[in-house]
Amino acid sequence: MSKTILYVEDNEFNRKIVRDLLARTSYRLIEATDGEQGVATALKEMPDLILMDIQLPKLSGLEATRRLRTDPKTANIPIITVTSFAMSGDDQKAKEAGASAYLAKPYSPRELLQMIRKFAPED
Amino acid sequence: MCPEEELPNTYAASAIAPTPGWGDAIARPLLTHSPLGRLVRWVAGIPVSVHAKLLGAFLLVTLLFIAMGAVTLQTITTMSRQSRLLDQGHERVDWSRQIQHALAMQSHFTALALLLRDEATIASILRENNQFNNTLARIGEAAPLEEQELIQRILAAQNEALITVADIANLVRDNKLDDARTLHLSKQEPLYLQIEGFVNQVVSIEQDRMNRLRLSVAAENRRALVLTAGFVGSSILLALLLGFVISWSFILPVREAHGFLGKVAEGNFTTTITVPNRDEFGVLANRMNQMSRELQRLYERERAAAKELQALNDRLERATKAKSEFLANMSHELRTPMNAILGFVEMILDEVYGEIPAHLKEPLTDVQTNGKHLLRLINDVLDLSKIEAGRMELSLGDYSVQDIVETVRASLQSLAAEKGLGFVAAVEDDIPLGFGDGKRITQCLMNLAGNALKFTRQGRVEISVGLEGETLTYRVKDTGIGIPKDQLENVFGEFRQVDAAITREFGGSGLGLSITKKFVEMHGGRIWVDSELGKGSTFFFSIPLRVETGEGT
Repeated sequence: MSKTILYVEDNEFNRKIVRDLLARTSYRLIEATDGEQGVATALKEMPDLILMDIQLPKLSGLEATRRLRTDPKTANIPIITVTSFAMSGDDQKAKEAGASAYLAKPYSPRELLQMIRKFAPED
Repeated sequence: MCPEEELPNTYAASAIAPTPGWGDAIARPLLTHSPLGRLVRWVAGIPVSVHAKLLGAFLLVTLLFIAMGAVTLQTITTMSRQSRLLDQGHERVDWSRQIQHALAMQSHFTALALLLRDEATIASILRENNQFNNTLARIGEAAPLEEQELIQRILAAQNEALITVADIANLVRDNKLDDARTLHLSKQEPLYLQIEGFVNQVVSIEQDRMNRLRLSVAAENRRALVLTAGFVGSSILLALLLGFVISWSFILPVREAHGFLGKVAEGNFTTTITVPNRDEFGVLANRMNQMSRELQRLYERERAAAKELQALNDRLERATKAKSEFLANMSHELRTPMNAILGFVEMILDEVYGEIPAHLKEPLTDVQTNGKHLLRLINDVLDLSKIEAGRMELSLGDYSVQDIVETVRASLQSLAAEKGLGFVAAVEDDIPLGFGDGKRITQCLMNLAGNALKFTRQGRVEISVGLEGETLTYRVKDTGIGIPKDQLENVFGEFRQVDAAITREFGGSGLGLSITKKFVEMHGGRIWVDSELGKGSTFFFSIPLRVETGEGT
């Protein structure tokens, strides 16, 4: 049973990077393009790991993270937040919202894969 | 100079107000309810200088006193003449009495001669007769006409009496006593009675004259007293009036100016001063009006400028805000495609998409290198913009100095190796945890070390950190191209590199040092450089081991 990873990101190219990155691995990738859809998909699919962009339409990544953390069903799913704001304090905000880790854009796909494997080891 | 200009009369009662005293209490009603006010304005309006007015007033007062002195002198002269006349009158009355006496003595001695019949008594008659004549002559000297006539008659009768006396004396010597007595009774006695009557008239005339003189002297004295008193009184009044008018014609414009300047000092530049003076005070008032007009003009100009400046400032503020918002958006918009570009290139090079032909490896690596460089530039520009917009905040926390140095060393090691440069980093082991923004301090050290590697063709780059008291000093020493003395001050400015050729050779945005300097200063530290052209540079920055947390994170 391969592990499922949910990537919530509105930019098609960034989604494609992760899609291509995970294509040769055993992970199953599911995608969402905004915060609301992300929360709904997470509740429906119960992924093993969530990659959450912070700047999202409809519902921000931070808010989506907060909601997933308050719901007992998803409270324990590891969430890695990804942001394009290198502004100081974002990592702090992400931690406060309940993120397990923080990755600043532009990230190296290699590093991202390492982080995914750390939180959700491949079977 | 334009005293010709008609100045409206506006001495208001309020103009007397600034320093009220008892003098003002007297002056105020005088100036407002008597013709004195008009006189003061008239004097003020005389178009001559203050100097001339004062001189005129003083001369007038001086003339008055001279005239008063002359009148007094004349009075004194008159009085002394009158007292002399009075003395003379007394003398004449005395003389009249003397001749009365002499006449009585003549009569007496004549009677005695008839009794005693001696020569001595006869001689006494003659002596008294001489006395009588002498005194009469004196009276006659300054006698009026009516008296002269009387005196002539007395003289005639006296001569006759003298002849009779001589006859009587001869008769007495001849012992004809009866004849002598008869002559005495029949001729001499009536002559003496006649003379006595004349003399009594003279005495009465002289006494009349004396009385008249006394009366006239008293009248003259009264007249002199009244004249002198009048003159003195009017002189004092005139002097007071002149003093009052002249001084108030100067005091009022001064008070007016006082009030005017007070208003100007309070910032009321539309105020004007109006005085009736056509002297220096008038000129002064005109000048003051000119001044307040000029001040008002400047004030309006300045206000307009300030308004313009305010508007400009508002526009700038809006523009700055727009810029900040734009930058926040751009930060996202720029990094998202950069993420995709760098991500795809890395995955291609990592052969995620399969094996890549050998001849594509180098150009793909070039794409990656330049992409990373572009990202650094973008980051620098965004950082600096945020710092300038005041939106950059430090994220304070504990950090390890050793970790920072290790991160920088690890990141730049490959670059140093590629260029064949020696690259060492030395940190004292016993430096405790620092408190500050570890990421930004790392960025600072990375900038300095990156620059050092960039500008060094051969030799080595050394990083070292030392703690002295509570101050951490980071040091990056290179054996690079160095910086000319005259450029040392400029290296921390924005977009500064020593010259354009260097930019072409070494690349870089020219923002690294500027950003480093700002981060160091945000930590309460300072940055400086020692350099020798052609031999190398050493950059230092020192920050407190633990920064103040006054402004929070």
